[in-house]
Amino acid sequence: MSQPIQCSLCEEAATVHLSQVVHGKVRKVHLCEACAQKGGATDPAVFQLADALAAPTPAPTLTCPQCGFTDLDFRKRGRLGCPSCWETFGEALGGLLLKVQHEPAHVGRAPAGVVPVAQLRRRLDAARLEMAAAVAGEDFEAAARLRDEIAALERQLAS
Amino acid sequence: MSVEDILAAESELTHLLGGQQAVVLSTRIRLARNLEGLPFPGWAKAPHRKEISDRCVTVLEGLPKFRRGHVVRMGELGDRDRAVLVERHLVSKELAAGKLGAAVISRDQTCSVMVNEEDHLRIQVVKAGWHLRGTWHIAEQLDDALGGVLKLAFSDRLGYLTACPTNVGTGLRASAMVHLPGLCLAGHMDKVTRALNQDGLAVRGWLGEGTEAAGNVFQISNQQTLGLSEDAILRHLGGWIKHVVEQEWNARRKLAQEEGEKFVDRLARSLGVLRSARLLTSSEAMNMLSHLRLACDMGCLPEESRHLVDRLMIEGQPAHVQARAGQELDSDGRDRRRAAVVREALKDFPEVVPPSA
Repeated sequence: MSQPIQCSLCEEAATVHLSQVVHGKVRKVHLCEACAQKGGATDPAVFQLADALAAPTPAPTLTCPQCGFTDLDFRKRGRLGCPSCWETFGEALGGLLLKVQHEPAHVGRAPAGVVPVAQLRRRLDAARLEMAAAVAGEDFEAAARLRDEIAALERQLAS
Repeated sequence: MSVEDILAAESELTHLLGGQQAVVLSTRIRLARNLEGLPFPGWAKAPHRKEISDRCVTVLEGLPKFRRGHVVRMGELGDRDRAVLVERHLVSKELAAGKLGAAVISRDQTCSVMVNEEDHLRIQVVKAGWHLRGTWHIAEQLDDALGGVLKLAFSDRLGYLTACPTNVGTGLRASAMVHLPGLCLAGHMDKVTRALNQDGLAVRGWLGEGTEAAGNVFQISNQQTLGLSEDAILRHLGGWIKHVVEQEWNARRKLAQEEGEKFVDRLARSLGVLRSARLLTSSEAMNMLSHLRLACDMGCLPEESRHLVDRLMIEGQPAHVQARAGQELDSDGRDRRRAAVVREALKDFPEVVPPSA
């Protein structure tokens, strides 16, 4: 007889099996009756939790110099210790971010007075490609708009 | 200031200051923010948490938005008062569970900022009805005001830094509280939930994570916060809410047409029970009030009656019932008291009539 599949959240035998398709990738989660009843079966956050729990256990290799938080603390809590932890664990968290987030780079607002340089550079690269495509497609209206955007981005980055 | 003042005040959701609507009960924006150089609340020691709380509360109290507002410190409140704040969605269950958290709440209760929840600051703005852009603009202004005074933790690459990787980037959670009796009665809710989940939206019950969808009320929100601009997140949610509202109306019209008298009978019976019951449990009240709200939307009851239904949904919750009674009540006592409040509120309520064409 085959071994029963273990619940992704606890140690019980799983009876509920879920699949989720995100950006063309299939992810599976197995739940026991109790975890499924707790709302897990209808909450997409269950996938994130299961992913974090399923990762192999490393020895504590990273410690945040600012607050003393370690990578093992993160595995236990699923939360970081302080803003500087993002620098310490940034690379290690890259894989998790790819799973739970849309893209691993910020494209939103910044606090007043902060120029988001990396974000502007990315947009500048994209706008240049878009302008080349617009020119090739003889969409000169779009090309002119993009030219203005590129000039504005270059000005912002130069300041 | 006490929780009694919050209960007595005319608030956005209980008195629908922003106007009320069919299907969408309220729109909510939440922004997670942290101070640079200080540990997140879950890892911070008590002295740090106190420093965070003192700094943030002082700044918040000084903002025009919170003039003549309320400051509530969890450590100074009893269980019932904290539960009232949770039932009003002014603070989260997590904040209410700890002693070191605080919240600053605007006078009309549209804005509340939680301090020392999972993040140092959780800005929340809520409006009655569906007002995604308007709600967002208020949150944006509050964020700018805070960012002008406090140095917020921000990285060029990852955006606003948060304790949990599921909030990093924009720190934005946008949500709509929707009333979907049509889709529930038609048995389509599982299908809708699956479709929303697969496109990166979460569907939760009335009181958020891990709660049941009493009264056919669901909270729909974005999951991803990084790699999408605030505008893209709002457009994505907005598009889906519009679609869900359309589907809900289709389901309601179909039900009303196919069931005919049975449809009206169901709504009329709920009014009958609410007007006569001597004992009403919280979930029974929610489910029957859901029928009354549906009746108001469908023209079976006057539309002006809907605000009373919405208020009873909030004030019929256990901690609210006890706070109004001014005493702790056991389960039977609460059900008796709830029934009395609802009977009194509905005594001059009009009769349910067939839906308007």
